Amino acid sequence: MGALTSARRANPRGRRPARYAIALAIAVALSLVLVASSILNYVYLDTVAGRTSLYGLLAVALIALGTFIGVRAVDRDPARRRRDFIRAAVLLGLAALLWLLLIDVFIFTNAAGPGVAAICALACLPTTAFGLWVVRRIDRNEKEPWRLVLVAAAWGAVVATSLVIWAESLWQEIAIRTLVPGPGFDVSTAFSAGILEELAKGSAVVLLFLVMRNEFDDVVDGIVYGAAVGLGFNFMESIAYMTNLYAIFAPDGVGGYAAGFQWYARQVLGLFFGHATYTAFVGAGVGIARQLPTTRKKLIAIAAGFLVAIAAHFAWDAWINLFPIEKNNFAILEIHLRTLIMTGPFTAAVVALLLLGLHIESQALADQFRKEAALGSGAITPDEVPILMSPWRRFQQRLRVLGRGGLRAYIRLARLQAAQVDLAMERWHRERQEVDSPLEVDQEMRRQVIALREQFVRVISGG
Amino acid sequence: MFAAPLDQVRTLYRTLLVFAAVSLLILVAGLVEFAYFEPPGQHTGLKATIAGVYQYDPDHKTTVGPDRTSFPRTVQFAAVVDWSTLPKNVVVDARWYDGFGNVVGSVGPATPDQLADQTIVPVKVPPGFSHNLPGHYVFVVERYEGGVPVEVIGRRVVLVER
Repeated sequence: MGALTSARRANPRGRRPARYAIALAIAVALSLVLVASSILNYVYLDTVAGRTSLYGLLAVALIALGTFIGVRAVDRDPARRRRDFIRAAVLLGLAALLWLLLIDVFIFTNAAGPGVAAICALACLPTTAFGLWVVRRIDRNEKEPWRLVLVAAAWGAVVATSLVIWAESLWQEIAIRTLVPGPGFDVSTAFSAGILEELAKGSAVVLLFLVMRNEFDDVVDGIVYGAAVGLGFNFMESIAYMTNLYAIFAPDGVGGYAAGFQWYARQVLGLFFGHATYTAFVGAGVGIARQLPTTRKKLIAIAAGFLVAIAAHFAWDAWINLFPIEKNNFAILEIHLRTLIMTGPFTAAVVALLLLGLHIESQALADQFRKEAALGSGAITPDEVPILMSPWRRFQQRLRVLGRGGLRAYIRLARLQAAQVDLAMERWHRERQEVDSPLEVDQEMRRQVIALREQFVRVISGG
Repeated sequence: MFAAPLDQVRTLYRTLLVFAAVSLLILVAGLVEFAYFEPPGQHTGLKATIAGVYQYDPDHKTTVGPDRTSFPRTVQFAAVVDWSTLPKNVVVDARWYDGFGNVVGSVGPATPDQLADQTIVPVKVPPGFSHNLPGHYVFVVERYEGGVPVEVIGRRVVLVER
């Protein structure tokens, strides 16, 4: 993305697109909802969650500030960019720690203790990290920057969970006081989880789409960001359930078992089948909207993504009792089958969208590689086209270079290939009239590619 | 205006719309289920008298001490209902739900007369456990219609401490 961002800098925009104003409006609205609901919750419900949400505002503010600085850094010169990224990382880290601390102190620590909470968090870290690694890897043509994938996950873990704690507490409180306990109540709770959690998580994907359009190319990117938000949410929810159930069952000597079961159900079995799948649909809707020609279709696509996400989430929460787990030798098999039957079709649907998206993206890039090579600009040569068209062949070429020129040569070639893919992607969007940047951007990107090629040649020739 | 890839994106768009249509059916099914178990227009204004929630002595099957809103998990407790205040022709039951939504104690469904000697509704400790699980417990007195509980006519929430 280096070439692209430099090119953006080389062609300053006269006026920011309207989508920035929409993003700002959404961010302000979310902040107001956070503040208002936390105060209302605290004053009227006086629950533990209410206190947490009020005190958690500082963590939410740190996340918002860190995200803003991190995203803004992309448009900065290298020196300021580095400084801004460090600031953003520190703020996000502080926010995450503060939030974990609040969760532990105000909700579970009294019962489960900080040691148990820390163990639960540590147990969820490797699985969530693996999930994020896999999700990022599936974008085989152009991997999304780690900073944005992690920002998406952080939003899911901290901001989205904060939003839903308050809203779901209110919904639950009203439902307990007004509904007949039983299936109707369960359906109400499922609507609450499906609607509120998907809106909270999906708002992160929408904001990324509005603010980071350059890193949001198509349905594949949308699925990656959506799944990352879902994995972040799943991380925090897993810790909450594990510590809570540990505290409930520990006096009977089965606290560890209860927490361990939650870990397996949410961090292994449900890692990709739960929140990651749901929010990936929001991302898919936004990603498809990115490439649609009219505002009406864009809005329909985004709404459709949210609708599928809400329905998938709702179906799991509302009808999980239709598949009761018997206490016998087949229980472990039944648990897996239940997940496969209830969430499997939705995961299969999102994978179908992903594969179709990858196919479209690969075809379009191949077409653009060929057109750029035919142009004779020197950014992409005809003999590079078959290599660039195949992620596997690109990797093989980098491996060969690693053997010849070491890690430095490998990194230089990786940057060159990434810049060439960026150029092809930019050409694709321009051909489809999906970019608001001036035509000079393409020319600047070509200059960047040629400069990267010269650097690579110098490294490989020992210069 | 657009090149060939547009058709492919349109395929994606249409696929998503198909998924959305199925999703809409799922959500409508949810609403129908909700309406079945929470039928509108069932509010009768009927009120069951819940005398209170008290510590329970299982050996003598009696309640002890004052009305309370929270209990330690080691203490057993029960709700006391005055069935005599309800009309004789309604079908009612009373249930305790634990924090996980499981029924952990109930009487009925039956008419108030048939329940007259079951005024105490204790919470049962779940099998395999020595004490109640902590959390919020909800006690409800429900009115039945067509074999399904349709209205809550009395409700108490108590906390079982950790």
